[in-house]
Amino acid sequence: MANIPELKISGLHAEVAGKEILRGVDLTVRGGEVHAIMGPNGTGKSTLASSLMGHPKYTVTAGKATIDGEDLLAMSVDERARMGLFLAMQYPSEVSGVSNANFMRMALNSKLGVGHEVPVLKFHRELQGKMKSLSIDTSFAERYLNEGFSGGEKKRNEILQMAVLKPRMAILDEIDSGLDIDALRIVADGVNSLRGPEFGLLIITHYQRLLQYIIPDRVHVMMQGRIVRSGGRELALELEARGYDWLKDELGIVDETVSANA
Amino acid sequence: MNTVKEASGAVLDAEPYFATLQEPAFALEFRRKALAHYAELPLARFEKSDLSKRNTHAFSVLPTTDGHSSAWRSIADTHMNTQDQHPLIVIADGRVVHVSGVDQLAPQGVIFCSLREAVTKHASLVQKHLGTVVPSDENSLIALQSALWRDGIFLYIPKNVQLTQPVQLLSVTTQGGSGTFIRNLIVADAGSQGSFLDSYVAPSTLGDELQVGVTEVVVGDGAKMKIGTVQDFPRKATNVLVRRARVLRSAEMNWVVGEVGDGYTVAEYGSLLEGEGSVSTSHTIALGAGRAHMDLTARMVHIGRFSESDTSARGVMQGKANAVYRGLTQILRGASGANGQQSEKLLMLNPGCRADAIPMLLIDENDVKCGHAASVGQINEDQLFYLMSRGISEASAKRLIVWGFVDPILAKLPVDIVRKAVEDVLERKMA
Repeated sequence: MANIPELKISGLHAEVAGKEILRGVDLTVRGGEVHAIMGPNGTGKSTLASSLMGHPKYTVTAGKATIDGEDLLAMSVDERARMGLFLAMQYPSEVSGVSNANFMRMALNSKLGVGHEVPVLKFHRELQGKMKSLSIDTSFAERYLNEGFSGGEKKRNEILQMAVLKPRMAILDEIDSGLDIDALRIVADGVNSLRGPEFGLLIITHYQRLLQYIIPDRVHVMMQGRIVRSGGRELALELEARGYDWLKDELGIVDETVSANA
Repeated sequence: MNTVKEASGAVLDAEPYFATLQEPAFALEFRRKALAHYAELPLARFEKSDLSKRNTHAFSVLPTTDGHSSAWRSIADTHMNTQDQHPLIVIADGRVVHVSGVDQLAPQGVIFCSLREAVTKHASLVQKHLGTVVPSDENSLIALQSALWRDGIFLYIPKNVQLTQPVQLLSVTTQGGSGTFIRNLIVADAGSQGSFLDSYVAPSTLGDELQVGVTEVVVGDGAKMKIGTVQDFPRKATNVLVRRARVLRSAEMNWVVGEVGDGYTVAEYGSLLEGEGSVSTSHTIALGAGRAHMDLTARMVHIGRFSESDTSARGVMQGKANAVYRGLTQILRGASGANGQQSEKLLMLNPGCRADAIPMLLIDENDVKCGHAASVGQINEDQLFYLMSRGISEASAKRLIVWGFVDPILAKLPVDIVRKAVEDVLERKMA
């Protein structure tokens, strides 16, 4: 198997609580590439992220998604993760009584498999280094998972987990929301340090701002549950400068959200 | 009159048993009176537990086990650590089989011995308090227990003495049918401090067994007592347990309760807050699996002015377990300035189990504060998804969530090995 990961999505339809949100998404992300999905609220961006990771609330009704040629949709959530898929969530859960460090060590060991567990000391040494580079106070290692973390701390903790788990294919779901400009730069540095031919990245964002720090190769616009326009980095700049209305006019879309034509 | 119904249904005289005990007159009188109550009282009734469907005759008047059996050791192993120096008494099938570390208590005047020993050696102290916290006629099974109690511990902490380490009772029942009737009496004199931990264990192969346990505690003015109590009897056991403290002026009583057995259990624990400014907390963990029935009541009775109580419970139910958790805060007239808080959280791991949280606030005074929070739910879907999205299997993720749910209370159990034993039970039940 090639070491270049590939996430391939074709004709993906998904619904939540009986309401169709995704209406035929086609997208391929390969190792070494950074793709950004932009779009106004309510157009299905986060649904795509959650559906790919396998959140039980979302039901895929048609289409395919594979990672390295393997059927992603047939896998349980933890199997997807162990295949190298990672989702940095918009609203990470808080789990009381479970320490941040123990959780990450357990997650890493699940990935490495029985007999290949990381030695405890080595893990903590590496974790401390990664926390420092993300400007996370090392006391957060012993705190309960996300409990009492501020919005920005949660986001940084997501990137920390990504740095620890070293996924092959990562989706960042609005990782920039709630971050000030300094935190944004730190998070972007953390993400950029992972870039390489064995790492593919899909960034979901409202704003072009994050893309100044994590330069995308491809930019996609989502409306009404599908990708309506793709382009290079210049598309993001154009959206930033002109908003979405010109694109809606061009495409003849009145309401870009998935509630239209529902 | 002094007769009692046995498992066989035959009626037997308890006098031959009493004759073997060689107890002072007051102690025998206590037993005889209780036996009379047992004969008169109807079977104990509980709102959510129908004992008529259980074998409440799974006991014998005379203990039947032979005194030479060492079967208790393998069962006790995971609950006792002989490396630990803290005082420990082990009772197996109602007889004291191990005593260690108690000599160190003598210089401070602390008494820690079996209750049977205490009725003779410390008769006046025992006579003064026995039956004053849990009346023998409270119900038929308490009456039965008060008549037939096999043994238990007596702990007396003199005025202003502080125990630096916990004292422990481990009670092991090796085979069913004889009746597990353990009775404890704890007196913490004014200004003293101490902690006590008792565990009740039996092998999973235990046959029908009636367990009635009574712990009476008197916490004197300004004294502070902590008690951790763990009950782990298997499915054929019927357990009726009362753990109750009288808390006097400015005194504090802290309960930590682990109900982790698979049997049929009706348990009440809590405090009578008699003294002005008295305080009591209770923290409960209930782990139910199989067909466990748990009818648990944390009861706080506010009698004194400015008395305060805080109770919390965390329950985890799976299999076909059935749990009723009642937080009962009673504030009597005259207890002005009282403050009673309670919270109950129950987690159900599968659809076959059942859990009810019943907060009860009975308030007969105007100038008080009371609060409650109760929730019954399943494992949070988003939490599970989050943990699994990092590669952790569903079973491990559930275990983590449950672990995190009970850990804050588990951490309060005062003896490491017992906490470890409860953790092992949790691991076993989650496997």
